[in-house]
Amino acid sequence: MRYAVNTSQVISEIIDGEAVMINLTTGNYYSLNESGATAWNAIEAGASAGDLVALLSARYEGDRAEIESAVGRLIDELNREELIVGSEDNGAPPAALDPAAKRMPFEAPQLEKHTDMQDLILLDPVHEVGEQGWPHVKVGGGDTPAPDRVPE
Amino acid sequence: MREGASPGAADAQAAVFDLDGIVGTHARAVGQMGVVEHRFQIADEVVTLRFAGAALVDLLTPAFAHLAVEEGSKPGLVINLWDSISTGVEAPPLPSIPADAPFGAFYYYEERPYRALFQPGPRALSMFDADAREAWYWVEGAANLSHWECAAPARHILQWYVRSTGRQQVHGGAVGTPDGGVLLVGKGGSGKSTATLSTLNSDLLYAGDDYVAVQIDDPPVVHSLYSSGKVEPHHLGRLPHLGSAVWNQDKLQTEKAVVYVHQHWPERTSRGFPLRAVLIPKVAADRPESRITEASRAMALAALAPSTIFQLHPSGQEALAAMARVVERVPTHTLELGSDIAGIPRAISELLGGQ
Repeated sequence: MRYAVNTSQVISEIIDGEAVMINLTTGNYYSLNESGATAWNAIEAGASAGDLVALLSARYEGDRAEIESAVGRLIDELNREELIVGSEDNGAPPAALDPAAKRMPFEAPQLEKHTDMQDLILLDPVHEVGEQGWPHVKVGGGDTPAPDRVPE
Repeated sequence: MREGASPGAADAQAAVFDLDGIVGTHARAVGQMGVVEHRFQIADEVVTLRFAGAALVDLLTPAFAHLAVEEGSKPGLVINLWDSISTGVEAPPLPSIPADAPFGAFYYYEERPYRALFQPGPRALSMFDADAREAWYWVEGAANLSHWECAAPARHILQWYVRSTGRQQVHGGAVGTPDGGVLLVGKGGSGKSTATLSTLNSDLLYAGDDYVAVQIDDPPVVHSLYSSGKVEPHHLGRLPHLGSAVWNQDKLQTEKAVVYVHQHWPERTSRGFPLRAVLIPKVAADRPESRITEASRAMALAALAPSTIFQLHPSGQEALAAMARVVERVPTHTLELGSDIAGIPRAISELLGGQ
């Protein structure tokens, strides 16, 4: 299965090799360390679990079983936090690595979760107002709604 | 139809949220009460506040006093402000909301070039026409204006406006010198206001404690929006220099203490300065001295973005990307706030002096 960022409710940025993600629906926000941000970047491109294992194995020195296990845990966490969704999209293969690049020791992806913005969501909820939400003009201050106006 | 509006777009929009109804009630209020205008320079552009009558003037202009300008160049934005109680004009058309809507709820509507937001708690309506650079701000009456609204008037309109000029309104404080300053970021209670208000006893200039605008592209520049400061009353003991400057002394049982810095320290306010660093305040009251330590850019973005995003409407990827671009351009640090208040501006000045 391929994965994609749950863009209907999640925004994110990668900065200096770390990822910051915000779930606009729950109010939770997150950070991911360097290996996690590498995986997140690949998920943004539609990676599968296998793609992530291949990518992290190529970039880091580490036991493949350990990397597979870490990727599985990361996907479970990202799914549980509604940060990613399954995708039908074939996606793009992870970007090729510079073969001369030095591989770093593997550190498992760490998802850090912050819940201190939840109160703001509960106390100050935002409602998107659609066409039914905003009343039409009332003629002469009376109670009879005016007919919808027709664009010129 | 209002002069200057796009014919097709305006009429299509009027059928949805009744642009003409909103504009019309303001026009009737002006007809009843006359116009009182005040002009300010906000983020390098003149912004005219055009009040219908005087009922809201003394409540909504003190926060902008440090930005006042005389008659002159064409305004980049005109904000029309009025209320129903003093003018006797009915409320503009408002969205239908459930009776049990939370006090702090926001009802947001957007269809280019318009943005509108209604806050049912204080019964306040904000609307912005990005093409005409004109905005409307209505409240039921002066009594509906909370202390936080007076301290940061028309915040949503200014957010939409500054974004249209390549800036980003952020939840943060800013202090510095004409050569450069720092942006202090973090959620409420992180120490932003204590840190920024502590500098009034120093050589640093004050550009805001809660909301400022930041130019996104090079060079990063902080623009002051408000000269107000808000602090929890139980923190006033740590900021004795605020003393009688507190605006709402008689309401501190239920409100944060509000200080209009320009009224008491006019020489200490700033319209803005180049941004030199982003600081994440962290209370460290177990020792007297304040100190500045390294912090990653991701830490700074995580301190800045969520508390900004969840107060902005709309919020989204564009705002987060804008804040990331700002954080990428300057050093990021943690500002550990020691118990000796005088040490806070000293630590900031040393950082700025050492750059």
